[in-house]
Amino acid sequence: MSDVKQLITQLFKSNNINVPAKRMNLFDKFLQDEQNIAAINTITQNQDWLMTKWKLKDRIAEIMQQPVRILNASVGKSYEAKFDFEKFGWKDITAYEFTGLEEAGLLYDEKTKQITGNPTQSGDIKIAFKFKVEGQPGDAPYNEKIIALIINPDPKSLWKNLESDKNDPYWKEDNVTEFAPIGDRHILVASKRGRAHANIASFREDDFAFKDLENGWSIVVVGDGAGSAKISRKGSVIACNGIVDYFQEKPSIESLLEFDELLQKHKAHTSEDTLKKLNHCVYNNLSKAVFQVHKQLEEFATKEGFQLKDLNSTLVFTLFKKYDIGYALLSFGVGDCPMAALNKDVSEVINLNWIDVGEFGGGTRFITMPEIFKNEKFATRFNFKLIDDFSYLILMSDGIYDSKFVVESNLPNIKKWQEFLKDLDGKNEDNIQVKLSIDNRDIVEQFSKWMDFWSIGNHDDRTLAIVF
Amino acid sequence: MRRLPVYLLLDTSGSMTGEPIEAVKNGVQVMISSLRQNPQAIETAFISIITFDSVAKQVVPLTDLASFQMVDIKATGTTCLGEGLKLVSTCIDNEVAKTTAEQKGDWKPLVFIMTDGIPTDDWQSGLEEFKKRKTAYTVACAAGSGADSNLLKQITENVVSLDTADSQSIAKFFSWVSASIGVTSTKVEDAGKEVTGLGELPPPPSELNIVV
Repeated sequence: MSDVKQLITQLFKSNNINVPAKRMNLFDKFLQDEQNIAAINTITQNQDWLMTKWKLKDRIAEIMQQPVRILNASVGKSYEAKFDFEKFGWKDITAYEFTGLEEAGLLYDEKTKQITGNPTQSGDIKIAFKFKVEGQPGDAPYNEKIIALIINPDPKSLWKNLESDKNDPYWKEDNVTEFAPIGDRHILVASKRGRAHANIASFREDDFAFKDLENGWSIVVVGDGAGSAKISRKGSVIACNGIVDYFQEKPSIESLLEFDELLQKHKAHTSEDTLKKLNHCVYNNLSKAVFQVHKQLEEFATKEGFQLKDLNSTLVFTLFKKYDIGYALLSFGVGDCPMAALNKDVSEVINLNWIDVGEFGGGTRFITMPEIFKNEKFATRFNFKLIDDFSYLILMSDGIYDSKFVVESNLPNIKKWQEFLKDLDGKNEDNIQVKLSIDNRDIVEQFSKWMDFWSIGNHDDRTLAIVF
Repeated sequence: MRRLPVYLLLDTSGSMTGEPIEAVKNGVQVMISSLRQNPQAIETAFISIITFDSVAKQVVPLTDLASFQMVDIKATGTTCLGEGLKLVSTCIDNEVAKTTAEQKGDWKPLVFIMTDGIPTDDWQSGLEEFKKRKTAYTVACAAGSGADSNLLKQITENVVSLDTADSQSIAKFFSWVSASIGVTSTKVEDAGKEVTGLGELPPPPSELNIVV
């Protein structure tokens, strides 16, 4: 009864009605009046009703405003995100349903407390989480909380494959793969336009060339036109073909005969002197070729009204010839295209060049740069190796190197080359195998497919030449 | 893979209350959505948001576009740009990978600063720290008449200004930032070359005045 008294006293007080001591008896009687008791009960009930209702509203508002984040999804990737009521503090949710999940290819599993599935369409979608909380009647409408879910597109689907303009004066085939005999071996080579270029209908800038020469030498050349240069696609063609042309010319064919003689002498009486003479001969012959190509590029630029740097291209090549004592490998390189020979049982790698890489990207050098010829390191760009035998002779552009070898320090590491061969043999994400055998009739097709491997952030042109 | 780190240094001082802060939030959202449609950006660009008011806070650490989620930001307090510059410097130290013999480092970071007022702290000491870090480029945006573009010129040569800090102008700024990040991510991937200044970025819309 004292509760009732307190309640009414409070009510009167808030309306400026004070019950003085002398009226207390009257007040007590007032509170015992049947009609008044009924009125008081109604007040209490209404109060309780209001408070419960308010608490419910407040709770719903709290849930509605509570920030709920769920992991972003991606098209083509299986999705799994915790959606745990307990963690959100939603023990009082009595009923719920999701709308919009199914359309996105997702489902909520109550047991695992996870949203899972395979999203099929990208976009910023809104999922409606409909719920009722304790205290809401069963037939009350659902409360609706909107939860944003970001579904990323599959990056692979964003790349367009647009044909390059065949009417361009410097146009070349977007993708080329060849398999042919070379020397006493075979060469498998592919040059493919990168996704970055295919996406904007631009051209392949890489190039290659190979040839058997009359004097028993064989040559393989790779060039990578600079992405920032206007007609580097032409630069790499001129560079690659220019080198082959040079070594096919009579003076060069004859000049290399000296190498045969020197090698015989070296074989008979190996000494520092014979080696020095061999190295000198290599430098002499190869540097002339490189100078000539540089000149050709210069002439082309002048004739066609371009700057020399518009033709910027890297250039690497290796000449090889079989002698009775093994193989001689002569090479030159400017730029970031590695060349290497692997010994017979693939237990050793012989790097044939050092590569030009800057501290940051864009630090490479090109055959078009006059300064490389004046640089003190110029002579170190040439290399002569005499080896018993080799299993593979490999030349690649940075499109392959960046994705498969990543950093320079991996190039002298035979393990990386063994992995690389395994990758070619099918140990890759797509299980695409290139059987490096001359009897493999599908070798061109397999290799061409393999070259399209996916590598995040690496969408440059790719050129890879394998002599085996 | 080499990441392209992008730092957005945003003024969340009290004067940004209302339309400007809402426009900034919206601008970031739209920017992220549009960058997600760019195949190069979605693979290479990583975004971080640093806010500065009475204090500087990294509200979103360097995050790839696919996982990025915008957080709620509120406008309050003073304009501690100096603190913001210090914080972006330490974030660059901690988050951007350097190239070594064993690993290929990240591309040099891009920094976009947006402010609507005059710094209230010792901003020069923050600038001193910031200048020690290498960025591909830093762009500062003076939003509205309360900002001092000459002061921003001391932070970077790339300064743009908005006549008013209204939602339309701010939206235009962010869509230009988005285009700039897109172009940069394409350039680094395609040419292996970093963009160094405003000249190589897409032309800004008419709402953006280039401060010379």
